[in-house]
Amino acid sequence: MEEKEKRLTLWYEETDGKDFPLVGKKNANLGEMIKAGIPVSPGFALTIHANNRFLELTGIKGTIETQIETLGHVTFDTAKHASAIAMELIESAEMPALLEDDILENYDRLCEMSQCPSCPVAVRSSGAVSMPGQMETYLNICGEKDLIAYIRKCWSSAYNTEAIMYRMNKGMPFLFNIGVGIPKMVNSRVSGIIFTINPINGDMSKISIDASYGLGEAVVSGLVTPDTYLVDKVTFELIKLVVGSKEIQCVYREGSSDIVETSVDEEKRVTRCLSPEEVKELARVGKLIEGYYGKAYDIEFGIDGDMEFPHNVIILQVRPESVWSKKEAAPRTERKPDAMSRIVSQLMTGVRLR
Amino acid sequence: MATRFMDPHDVPTIPGTEGWETMYPYQYQFSKDDPERSAFESSQIWFYDGLHYPEPHYPFDLIWDEAWSLALSQYNTRHFMVPPALGIAHRIVNGYVYISPVGVPTMEEIEKRVPLFVERAGYYYENWDRLYENWKKKMTAVLEQLEATTFTDLPEMEDIRIIRDGVGKGSGYEMLKKYDELINLGLLCWQHHFEFLNLAYAAQVTFFNTADQIFPGIPISTLVKMSAGMEALLFRPDAELISLSKLAVSAGLEDVFAKPLKAEQLMAELEKIPVGKEWLSQLHKSRYPWFYISTGTGWYHTHISWNDNLNIPFDAIRTNIKALKAGKEIGRPTESLLKERDRIAEEYRGLIRSDDDRAAFDQALSVARLALPYAEDHTFYVEHWFHSLFWGKIRQVGKVLENAGFMENADTDIWYLKRDEIKQAIWDYTTAWATGIKPRGPSYWPKQIARRKEIYQKFKEWTPPPALGTPPEVVTEPFTIVMWGVTGDVLKGWLAGPEEGEVSNEIQGSPGSSGVVEGKARVLMSVEELADLQEGEILVARTTSPSWAPSFVKIAGAVTDVGGPMCHAAIVCREYGLPTVVGTGKGTQRIKTGDLIRIDGDTGKVVILERAKA
Repeated sequence: MEEKEKRLTLWYEETDGKDFPLVGKKNANLGEMIKAGIPVSPGFALTIHANNRFLELTGIKGTIETQIETLGHVTFDTAKHASAIAMELIESAEMPALLEDDILENYDRLCEMSQCPSCPVAVRSSGAVSMPGQMETYLNICGEKDLIAYIRKCWSSAYNTEAIMYRMNKGMPFLFNIGVGIPKMVNSRVSGIIFTINPINGDMSKISIDASYGLGEAVVSGLVTPDTYLVDKVTFELIKLVVGSKEIQCVYREGSSDIVETSVDEEKRVTRCLSPEEVKELARVGKLIEGYYGKAYDIEFGIDGDMEFPHNVIILQVRPESVWSKKEAAPRTERKPDAMSRIVSQLMTGVRLR
Repeated sequence: MATRFMDPHDVPTIPGTEGWETMYPYQYQFSKDDPERSAFESSQIWFYDGLHYPEPHYPFDLIWDEAWSLALSQYNTRHFMVPPALGIAHRIVNGYVYISPVGVPTMEEIEKRVPLFVERAGYYYENWDRLYENWKKKMTAVLEQLEATTFTDLPEMEDIRIIRDGVGKGSGYEMLKKYDELINLGLLCWQHHFEFLNLAYAAQVTFFNTADQIFPGIPISTLVKMSAGMEALLFRPDAELISLSKLAVSAGLEDVFAKPLKAEQLMAELEKIPVGKEWLSQLHKSRYPWFYISTGTGWYHTHISWNDNLNIPFDAIRTNIKALKAGKEIGRPTESLLKERDRIAEEYRGLIRSDDDRAAFDQALSVARLALPYAEDHTFYVEHWFHSLFWGKIRQVGKVLENAGFMENADTDIWYLKRDEIKQAIWDYTTAWATGIKPRGPSYWPKQIARRKEIYQKFKEWTPPPALGTPPEVVTEPFTIVMWGVTGDVLKGWLAGPEEGEVSNEIQGSPGSSGVVEGKARVLMSVEELADLQEGEILVARTTSPSWAPSFVKIAGAVTDVGGPMCHAAIVCREYGLPTVVGTGKGTQRIKTGDLIRIDGDTGKVVILERAKA
């Protein structure tokens, strides 16, 4: 096997957190999650080295260097010009065979694994340095031809005007190679959010799962009343299930990354959208993520309709829970000197009936 | 929605049961003769004790209801001085027992009881282990005395020994005395039954509520898992069966057991071979006392024990042998259950963020764990061992009366007499015997019994409303909370009235054990039908008893009419990993054997997917 540093592509499971200089932060993070046992959508990364090889093999590197030098000190006006030149060069260049073969070999394998020809994937930029939101991510890319085209677009997005200005301000060089992540698009039959606490009252012993049909947007942006599953964090028993109305679902428009709303069948609306096994597995994964990071988490997930349980449970995004974790834990019980006084106090209180 | 239930005085008599009141003690009736008592009755909540009594009461069987009415109440009211709670009042309506927790009326009186309770209950909690050891000795003495009691027909002539030893008393007198002693033993046993139980439940309620404050909505089943002992005694009979089954396999007796023989014939076969004899001697050791396990709750005389019908344990042994030969693991992994209990408690403890809450959790859990083994184990001593023996002794009394012509069939008839009436019948029998004349009984009791059987049948066809009277704001009586699970939500459900579900294919119960399963239903109304259970069926029953455990290796899930997440069926099914729905109310009536049903142990829903072909 070739040295990792010289590889053009790496599967997520071949990477971990330390590999961010090779594949970028987003990709390395996914590798790290897999290592921790957190199920993410299968896929692979184009290394930063691959981006560099592309620029070298196409001769773009040399062209840019000469052209940019002639621009002199970059100002807003010249940045716009430099961006146009660089992006045009990258997007119109032929993909070198060395790179194309490697990418397509991996893509074919991904299609095979998902039992899905021309499997839809995402093409996600992944820089070794954080540049929040400045580079592009393309969703629902199908087939070899589009994949190659969008990889170029993704690379070129590192040269949009804002990105160039940002780097200039930070004193970073003009040339900037990024990693690209190519995960299978989760064909979300159901998606939603896991809280590793009860978000209503901050109870740490519960895991709360909101879920509805289709893409996560419906739940995240409150377009539907999702099912709510309250699961015991210790025993994974389902404690409470409130079936939501789930009238609509968000789906991709056929062959595009536009999201459209469609109506959900009457029968499906009144039925719980997650099976007991799926609920248990989501709770298990939620608990695992909380244990891994050592605090309460807020997690986006999808249930992939192309895959079979338990491989269909996919974690899309994780972030620390921000409401209850910041509050100090107020006692919920009264202080008592001993068990006997506690019993007396309990007997005196009884159980309210109305 | 209504805020109160039907007034208890307004429940109509079922046509054709007029005069039913004479089957039960007079004080059990709701009555308007005393305005004060009548007003009290109307102001209380009375709920039907379906947990203990899924069927109407036989006049004799009411003995245990009276026994617990006396014992439970006295420990709250007069012994431990539970501050806010007096006893539980009992009434009977159309054959069904209704009970009502009684509170201490004024805050001043409640406050006065606090130091008394702390002193008295405190003494028990502090000396729990020693007092409990002493309890076991007392119970063993009661059981030995019961075992030694027998009833036989009076002799034609007293034995010559009575003359020679100058005994100076007769067999008639002895029978009257023995009957009183038998009844008194029963009452004594129930005095012992509640010596610890009120305090055990108080500890349990405290733990449940403390944990619920810290972890809102934590399921009772999980709380039980954390605090419970292992119901060691109640599972012992099943463990005995498993070791007998393993012994049968290792001794090469499978072929003998494979023969379609009744227990008696099978034992005769085993007697013929040396290894069979050895097995029988092991069986004998297991039978006493473990086969006194009742096939029901032990509350009714119809709940016979394994010792009363050996075919039941023998069928279970057959099932076990098959499972063993198929390489299945059978039995209860006690050790891993204990580990699981500690893991769960530790994990919850780890999730507590406040120091005060952690201290509260520790206090409450420690006292619950101290008290709970009693709450579980006493059932084997009393409801199983004692009751099974006791019903047998009453059958002996019945046999004597049957032989004297007082009834046609002792096994089915004696229960239609109140215990005082049996005493009267024995008087009739003994005085007639002493005098050398014909007793009146044979012309009197058979008619009474026939009439009462008719009434009982009508009672059976009636559905008792879940509650009567006026709900209070707060319930403080520990039993009412723990055993019957009476909470605001439950009352609301009752007030909302019975579901108009007769046409629907869905039945709502409570989650008992997690999981969803589909299968053919097998509705079992009595334990004798257990043998009909087929592999993979879903058991549908009024309730289940620990003695049913051997069948659980066969079934795919269970549905019961009665019980909450703490009930036996739920506990066992969780251990066997079987989806279970409990407390459906009418599962056995709505579901028919052969129906294809789906049960969801997480939501408590049962769906009838396809009716059996008629």
